Amino acid sequence: MAATRDILIIGGGHNGLVTAAYLAKAGMKPLVLESRLALGGAARTEELAPGFRCPTLAHAAGPFEPKIIADLGLAKHGVEWITPAVRAFAPDPNGGGFCLYDDAERTATELSKLSTKDAAGYREFRKAFERIGKVLGPILRTTPPSIDRPTAGDAIAFLKVGKNFRGLGKRDAYRLLRWGPMAVADLVSEFFETDLLRAAVAARGIYGSFAGPWSAGTALPLLLQAALDGQAVAPAQTVRGGLGSLSDAIASAAKSFGAEVRTGAPVASILVRDNRAVGVVLESGEEIMAKAVVSNADPKRTFLELVDPGDLDPDFAGKISNYRMAGVTAKVNYALSGLPAFHAPSHASTDGNKHLAGRIHIGSGIDYLEKAFDASKYGDFSPEPYLDCTIPTVSDPSLAPAGLHVMSVTMQFAPYKLKAGDWSAHADALGDTVTKLLSSYAPNFKDLVVARQVLTPADLESSYGLTGGHILHGETTLDQFLTFRPLLGWAQYRTPIDALYLCGAGTHPGGGVTGLPGANASREILKDRKKIHR
Amino acid sequence: MTQQYDAVIIGGGHNGLTTAAYLARAGKKVLVLERRHVLGGAAVTEEVFPGFKFSVCSYVVSLLRPEIIRELDLPRHGLEILPLDGTFSPMPNGDYLWRVNDHGKTRREIARHSKLDAEAYDEYGKAMVEMGRFVKPILEMTPPDPTSLRPKGLKDLAFLGRRFQKLSADDKYNQVQLMTMSAVDFLDQWFETDVLKATMSASGIIGTFLGVRSPGTAYVLLHHYMGEIDGAFRSWGFARGGTGAISNAIADAAREAGVEIRTEAPIEKILHANGRATGVVLKNGDEIHARVVVSSVDPRLTFIKMLGAEHLPGDFVEDINRYKFRGSSGKVNMALDGLPEFTCLPGHGAHLRGAISISPSVEYMERAYDDAKYGRFSRRPYMDVVIPTLTDPSLAPPGKHVMSCFVQYAPYKLRDGDPTWDDQREAFGDTVIDTLSEYAPNLREHILHRQVLTPLDIERDFGLTEGNIFQGELSLEQLFFLRPAPGWAQYRTPIKNLYMCGSATHPGGGIMGAPGRNSALKLLADWKAGKV
Repeated sequence: MAATRDILIIGGGHNGLVTAAYLAKAGMKPLVLESRLALGGAARTEELAPGFRCPTLAHAAGPFEPKIIADLGLAKHGVEWITPAVRAFAPDPNGGGFCLYDDAERTATELSKLSTKDAAGYREFRKAFERIGKVLGPILRTTPPSIDRPTAGDAIAFLKVGKNFRGLGKRDAYRLLRWGPMAVADLVSEFFETDLLRAAVAARGIYGSFAGPWSAGTALPLLLQAALDGQAVAPAQTVRGGLGSLSDAIASAAKSFGAEVRTGAPVASILVRDNRAVGVVLESGEEIMAKAVVSNADPKRTFLELVDPGDLDPDFAGKISNYRMAGVTAKVNYALSGLPAFHAPSHASTDGNKHLAGRIHIGSGIDYLEKAFDASKYGDFSPEPYLDCTIPTVSDPSLAPAGLHVMSVTMQFAPYKLKAGDWSAHADALGDTVTKLLSSYAPNFKDLVVARQVLTPADLESSYGLTGGHILHGETTLDQFLTFRPLLGWAQYRTPIDALYLCGAGTHPGGGVTGLPGANASREILKDRKKIHR
Repeated sequence: MTQQYDAVIIGGGHNGLTTAAYLARAGKKVLVLERRHVLGGAAVTEEVFPGFKFSVCSYVVSLLRPEIIRELDLPRHGLEILPLDGTFSPMPNGDYLWRVNDHGKTRREIARHSKLDAEAYDEYGKAMVEMGRFVKPILEMTPPDPTSLRPKGLKDLAFLGRRFQKLSADDKYNQVQLMTMSAVDFLDQWFETDVLKATMSASGIIGTFLGVRSPGTAYVLLHHYMGEIDGAFRSWGFARGGTGAISNAIADAAREAGVEIRTEAPIEKILHANGRATGVVLKNGDEIHARVVVSSVDPRLTFIKMLGAEHLPGDFVEDINRYKFRGSSGKVNMALDGLPEFTCLPGHGAHLRGAISISPSVEYMERAYDDAKYGRFSRRPYMDVVIPTLTDPSLAPPGKHVMSCFVQYAPYKLRDGDPTWDDQREAFGDTVIDTLSEYAPNLREHILHRQVLTPLDIERDFGLTEGNIFQGELSLEQLFFLRPAPGWAQYRTPIKNLYMCGSATHPGGGIMGAPGRNSALKLLADWKAGKV
């Protein structure tokens, strides 16, 4: 039997790699085990058709934490950020539309041609979220406090947050309390009057979630994400070569610090002795022993599939099986022979195709998004879905042959459990629905399609290891965030099994390509270093 | 002509009357002003058709705080609660689910649908009782101000934190889920039988503009479960003489303590000078002066209509304007000359004496909500039906019955371009009868009269803005220290000596009386501290 390893990391997604890099930087010797041949988990670039490379699942950073970029020296490892000025373009189905930019003033100016109230609302929104982000941001970057066993560190962190919270002033402090549990549709209506604008902003609250904008609690994901960047819509930032290049760079940094990475090494189970994780068994049968194990897989996969039921407290297992992660997202990726002719935003000072460089939001209003959600409640996919698209080749032509394009489309809502049975029989219909909808916005679209890849929730589960096909490793709701992610009492990246840790998006602060769960987890693991090495 | 009181109460609903009684018992000279000819607000009994008395709006009790019953000695003032035994849920497939107060019987009935669920039902009951115990003291407290730097606010918050910390791990987990989850998600963790989940989830949506799958509805589930927790009466019940009898008992207690009550005394506006309330002006021009004005009506009526936005801080007005009402329910009251016969369980057995719940499946409930989201009343609504004459025959002539149907969803705001509620009232009534007839086909032949109350009618007749029966949504962002407005959850208002005591204050709606009592105690404490 081979020597006992220092620490194993199951899963080479971006969070697992971030954890590995931090641990290695601190002198530990992590070994990352990735089931597929390519690294990156949900953040990867793959060849869609000969010559066309596409970010097959995640298509933009969440935003990725700047401190991690600096700590790990990612710039040295070949990360070249692409930050389009346009964050999102929201075409109006009747023609026109508008763009939302990184720059608040530029956005407000453009919106003022739409509605003066919306322009003022946008400025106010950005300011309010910037202030609130200063309180929430640090919370996302720290380990959630333990309620049962608060440590001195927890108390200090709590006081700090309390002080920041009080520093907000009554109005913003109450806003924060009030907004958290609200429906995002109500939140956006406090700032905006144009339905399309409301929808474009509300979309950040329902992205990846089994919820429509009228579902209570959907303001929370918007608040949490906006806490990181103070912005109304998700960032369009990506890296040259697609998000897979980011994962490769983190892996390269991790290796430079001394981590080892093995691909094509799927883990079949976690070995537990006397309630302590002691290693893993690969699907090949190979056993790898280690002093500790970190799982970047989602909580359900980790505890219900990788850990033997006999090794787990049944009460804990019961709660994990109630952890909600039924996905509603499908992915449709296109290889295109040209650029889709979306009509230009009516008020933009357009310069060429720059408005297509960010995200393209398809969802004409709040009720439209809500109706798109309705179907999924009854086990059908939306006949008129909400789409979040990017055309990465607008900024990064290297991904496709000259003059040609790839387009990445996140489609909601496609429920994991389909009433009509197996997803495989419905993948084409889903793809056709998306093609048809896009063609209604860009009439030439259907004629441009060279190749199409449809990833149903079932595919996201089988090829990306996402239980339930949930791209965020679980719903981001009030009962599954912060101290409650994944479970109350187990939000400190530790688990009921000694020397077994979690580091994926199923831990605080949740999904999106931010690297934060991985960084937070590594900090907690390093605190236990003595215990691990005992 | 002017008159001088210590306190004048706007609105003679059960909360206004409760506040009045407590103030008078503390020696204050109190006047209650009620707009209508009857007392009770939404807790009122009226003879709508000759010989037929209806609990027109609110129709069952269970939430009424036991300490109020005790302290005001309500049984001596005529309050008698009759048990409402069980919930009967007919199903379209010819089966039914019938839960009763007899635990063994209910277990056997649930086991008929699922053995696992029968076992889970015990566990569930125990967990909910624990949760109720946790929430109970919160119902009785004045919400703290979490943004305040004063030691009192911090102390109250710390009290809550410690209470939570003391819960067992399982109870903590349950409590977090109850405060945040949807009723269906919560129940999914316990049960597998669809009709059981549907019927139970119904108490999570009553009076709200939310679906059974909307997060936050598990809390309303608990809110409605509170009644089953206090030892006083362990389940839902009827007041003999209809819910108006509750209001009358409280009014009687108030009068005995010296309260003066005037009906048909609608208020035109609240008088104030230098940011301080000084009294009210009636529609007939009478001016009544008082040290304190306490409003039991909702914030929109109180602040926008009776006080005037121009006299209030802009932020506060914004918050009040934003306060969500969004009435979602209607009421159909029927006078019957015979009892409905359910196809799935014929005869006039005990199943008709409890609540009859039209909630056959979770999907049915959710689809009912989907209609409402886009501004239409549910094609097939959720209904909670009671026949109080089976328990209290005095409500109708011999051999005849009254039947009350609480109907959801009926959104106050209809789709743009659709006919108004006045033009859809009868269609709404027809839908209710059509729906019920699918389960009890003989109903139609027994209907002598029907009264259809749309949310618009509820607004007009009972002064409930947008027809919301709780004086505002019981959604998380409008509860506890956020009810009715951030920073103003302590029954005080930006106008000195103007207090709130209705369902729009903590802990919210239902015939609970807690807002009225809490408000009176807070006001008396302020009085003692010289703040009035």
